[in-house]
Amino acid sequence: MKDFMSGNDGVAHAVKLCRTPLIAAYPITPQTSIYERLSSWEASGQLKGIMMRTESEHSAMASCIGASLTGVRTFTATSSQGLALMHEMLHFAAGCRLPIVMANVNRIISAPWGFWADHLDSLSQRDTGWIQFYVENGQEALDTVIQAYRIAEQVYLPVMICLDAFFVSHFVEPLDIPEQEPVDAFLPPLNLPHRLDVDKPGFLVPVVSSENYRHYKHSAQMGMNSVKEIALSVDREFKSKFGRGYGILESILLDDADVVVVTTGSMTSTARLAIAKMREEGKRIGLLKLRMFRPFPVEALQIALAGKKRIVVIDRNFSVGGGGIFCQELKSALIHSSDHPLIFSYIAGIGGTDVTPETIRKIAIEVLEKSEPADEPQWIMSE
Amino acid sequence: MAAGKSKEPVIPISYGSTELIETGKWSSRKPQALRMIPPCQEACPAGTDISLFVRLVEQGRHKEALATILIENPFPGVCGRVCFHPCEAGCNRAHYDESVSIQTLERFVAGLRHGKLPLLQPAATNDPRRVGIVGSGPAGLSCAYFLALLGHRPTVFEAKDDPGGVMRGGIPEFRLPKPVLKREIRRVLALPVELRTGCRVGRDITFDELGRFDAIFLSPGAELNALLSVDGENLAGVWHGGEFLEKINSGKSVSLGTETLVVGGGNTAMDVSRSALRLGSKVTVAYRRTKEAMPAIPDEIREAEEEGIQFKFLIQPSSIRRKDNGRLEVVFQKMQLSSPDEMGRPKVVPVQGEHLSIETDSLISAVGELVDISWVPEKLVDSGLIDPGSAPAVFAGGDASRQSRTIVNAIASAKKAAISMDLYFRGIHDREALSKIGIGNQGSLSMAAYLQTRENGTWPEVKGVVSYQKIKTLYFEKSRRVKTRKLGHGKRQRTFSEVNLSPDAEKALLSASRCYSCGACNACFNCYYFCPEGVISVDAEQCTRTVDFAHCKGCGVCAAACPRNAIEMKDLS
Amino acid sequence: MLAPEMEPNFLRPGHAACPGCGLATGMKLVFQAMGPRTIAVIVPSCEGSIGGVYPITAYGVSTFHSAFEIAAPTAAGIANALKIQGNNDIQVVAFAGDGGTYDIGLQSLSGATKNNEDIIYVCLDNEAYMNTGIQVSSATPSFAWTGTTPKGNPRRKKNIMEIMAAHHNPYSATASIGFPLDLQQKIKKAKSIRGTKFIHMLVPCPTGWRTSSDLAPELSILAVETNVFPLYEIENGTKYTINHQPRRLPVQEYLMKQGRFKHLSEEQIRQIQNEVDEEWNRIQQRL
Repeated sequence: MKDFMSGNDGVAHAVKLCRTPLIAAYPITPQTSIYERLSSWEASGQLKGIMMRTESEHSAMASCIGASLTGVRTFTATSSQGLALMHEMLHFAAGCRLPIVMANVNRIISAPWGFWADHLDSLSQRDTGWIQFYVENGQEALDTVIQAYRIAEQVYLPVMICLDAFFVSHFVEPLDIPEQEPVDAFLPPLNLPHRLDVDKPGFLVPVVSSENYRHYKHSAQMGMNSVKEIALSVDREFKSKFGRGYGILESILLDDADVVVVTTGSMTSTARLAIAKMREEGKRIGLLKLRMFRPFPVEALQIALAGKKRIVVIDRNFSVGGGGIFCQELKSALIHSSDHPLIFSYIAGIGGTDVTPETIRKIAIEVLEKSEPADEPQWIMSE
Repeated sequence: MAAGKSKEPVIPISYGSTELIETGKWSSRKPQALRMIPPCQEACPAGTDISLFVRLVEQGRHKEALATILIENPFPGVCGRVCFHPCEAGCNRAHYDESVSIQTLERFVAGLRHGKLPLLQPAATNDPRRVGIVGSGPAGLSCAYFLALLGHRPTVFEAKDDPGGVMRGGIPEFRLPKPVLKREIRRVLALPVELRTGCRVGRDITFDELGRFDAIFLSPGAELNALLSVDGENLAGVWHGGEFLEKINSGKSVSLGTETLVVGGGNTAMDVSRSALRLGSKVTVAYRRTKEAMPAIPDEIREAEEEGIQFKFLIQPSSIRRKDNGRLEVVFQKMQLSSPDEMGRPKVVPVQGEHLSIETDSLISAVGELVDISWVPEKLVDSGLIDPGSAPAVFAGGDASRQSRTIVNAIASAKKAAISMDLYFRGIHDREALSKIGIGNQGSLSMAAYLQTRENGTWPEVKGVVSYQKIKTLYFEKSRRVKTRKLGHGKRQRTFSEVNLSPDAEKALLSASRCYSCGACNACFNCYYFCPEGVISVDAEQCTRTVDFAHCKGCGVCAAACPRNAIEMKDLS
Repeated sequence: MLAPEMEPNFLRPGHAACPGCGLATGMKLVFQAMGPRTIAVIVPSCEGSIGGVYPITAYGVSTFHSAFEIAAPTAAGIANALKIQGNNDIQVVAFAGDGGTYDIGLQSLSGATKNNEDIIYVCLDNEAYMNTGIQVSSATPSFAWTGTTPKGNPRRKKNIMEIMAAHHNPYSATASIGFPLDLQQKIKKAKSIRGTKFIHMLVPCPTGWRTSSDLAPELSILAVETNVFPLYEIENGTKYTINHQPRRLPVQEYLMKQGRFKHLSEEQIRQIQNEVDEEWNRIQQRL
């Protein structure tokens, strides 16, 4: 069924389709319409379950952890400050190996204050052990929520779905909402083997020795590694059932590209336009959309970028004192490449500043003409 | 590797128990059960295990409660009514709020239905001996009872037609109803005890004929009334207290007239005056000393006052004469307090020239009782009536021996004699033997301990008495003694019905629950609740505790929280 | 004394609590009253140490070791999940210390309580951060010595019962391990009520209060009898019920047994007595 709605609404619809019975959340711009939509469905009985209106995001995640550990499907959504407040709990949720799904609307993180799109909030949480997806548009947001439960409930790791503030969260366009029956078929009920069980009483998550800690963390890493395959197979199945697939990364016009532009999130839509135009002009520019950030798709990336000599990563984030985070991770993935590609780092869209097709074009041309990348990333400081 | 492949959960879950860790090794201090003597048991001349029987009442185990008393005292129904209850005076609770109503509880237990008699079985012995007992008062019957429990064959010679001694003839119905006494005596006679009534030694049987017994117990009681030694003592209307009570207690009536004077300050005087009141007379008690010096039990004095009996102090009769109007005129010498006598009691001396004249219809003197020893061989009298070295061994008890003249003391003297006889029969000349079964330092003996000794050959470890300081009063809420019902005032003055009524089971339970159970576990479960390790389990019926030493850290909480000093911490290294 | 049933023990011996630990006694009593159909949430604190190191534990019921400041919302999440699953006979009890309740956990407790989440929350109050040594918390009473207030705590103990009453939750009660039957009865009453139930339990710590290891029960009783820690219930934030008429012993009798108060001056003792009397009067007015 197609209907006009925002990305946030799409997320809410997906949660309802997944029959998530326990939602714990706290309002923060620009996540609020997800929370409100789900609240009104819970109040009217359309969403069967319990909405926990907690007093903070930290408590929201704590409640999700408790509920998930009891064996019930859970959901929360937040953004920016709220996500930062949850930080301790994000580590905890992943450490408890819980299939919690969360939507994070990427918003700048204070100080100073602001509300617009920026990826630093979720990227600051990249070490917490959560699977991370960055979606390009509302449809992808909706579809990824459904895929996320399927992935999470197989590997027992939590999933964070990141959508750009306003560009995705509030952008209204026609979205296709799947029917309930195929979603039910796609998502079997949750079975959590390590849940709290009064018939087999145990002490969950106690103090462990150093060696045991290492063992469990290593085992979590093994779980993370398996996500690459699992995410692909889930996406393939989703495509066959619902007609849409996204992969863990997407290659656009890469085969003969002299320069590959690497983007993520809503900026990718802009980049598609820019690249198409440049192709018309005869410039051989390609585009790589990074969808899954955790686990970082090292092998897929190496395969996609094999033979490419010039790569430019446009980061809508910056680790102060470090660099653009996507670029750092990509460089790390390609360090042993026999192609020795030149990897250029550009910082654009920080603070929600607009990234136009012109900006992308400018970056691509610059990279085409430069002999080598600078040590420091290049900041786009004006539109 | 996808999760869920192996059986091991993906997060650490502890299923094992910390019981694997023997935290008991942290300390060599461990709690030990302590069983000490409560002061009530020490104060009781019969050494009754009071805290045990009270606890059994609380647990509803009435038959066992009665058995607990009966092994030390065959007359709980009597003592539960007329004893001067030194147990209550010694009760640790008295220092906190009010003593436990031990006497009432003893009386309650004595009154319960208990099924077949005898409740206690005589001990097996391969050498039963025959013992002759003179007198079936509290001492004589108790001695017979204890000897029967020890497996011997006592024969009691009673001069009168009915057994009971002072219990029957001296104590009025309103303090000790006859049916109660009958029941008590029936319990004694249910054991192998031979009773021969109407048989007076010196008249119907000679003293030498008693020689056929292996031992003799002399408890003839104090039958003779002490005299006033004043003119007019033999006038009609002048009675001696003992003979007056004997008559009343055998159901005969006595006409006293409108007013009666009672001379004396002891229990007999109180019994006499209260009986006289019930015969319709207005009674005044005249005592030569002060109220504080009266030897009567304070309860009895109070009852007499409540019933409207008047008291006059510091007057002593000097002469009695009949007036023309037919009434008696008694002239009293006024007395005054002087320096104390050798017992510490203030002496009284006449106030020169001061007299008081009182007109009355009757006068009853209750100034003391004497023992008739006319029938006892002289050499025994000289040795103080006890000669265990002779053959047969001769013992004495009750009012005839040198001890306080109370029923419980009579019972205690009988127990001492019976045990002494048994030791003598067994050829044990251990001077310390009696002290080994003693309860505390006031001479009480434990028959239960003696019987156990006879059975297994070991003497019990002598234990200390729990003082009030050792009781953790913080664990007790203040409460008052439970009030029991009394006969209405009107009835008290007109009838000989029992004045103090027995408590019902609910009141008995309330009373029993006030007992501190000094020195003995009564399953209050404090240690069980407070132990941080949860290693103490309590058997509520047996009142014993089990401690898992493998996990006891020796913190001492159980000992500190035991309100009754029944646990001590010991270093077991 | 009528003998109670010997209940199974869900706090197994062999745990690492200090000898004489009042908190261990408290947890043991609570677990007994809760029974086996219970899920417990514990936080880093002495409860965590008692819990034990993998793979053995002292906890005999299903227990989750959550993070420090979120005992309440964690328990609430579990309770709601159980409701969704239709497991109506399983109860959830959250344990936190005074630090985890009065300080760092106050916000999340307030959040869960304002939503009237169906949990029993037990604050095990030993009046300081004891697991990490002995550091002052806002539950530490006036003038008490702690490692971080070596000259005595200059602040007064926060009134957590009043804070909870302001939420109008269905049931709050104080409890003392010195009154085990009252404590267990309150837990059983809490089990029968739907909504957020708060139990403020005094659990003396011989180590932190500087007393010998055997004094926790006696101090628990003295605290009540001196009115330092009255036993009462608050229903719906407005109905107050006193559960035990105290003997009103002078506070000195309670203070003098504890090393953490041995430096107190006469003036300070008087001040404590005033605080105690003032608090008691305030409760009386609410009856």
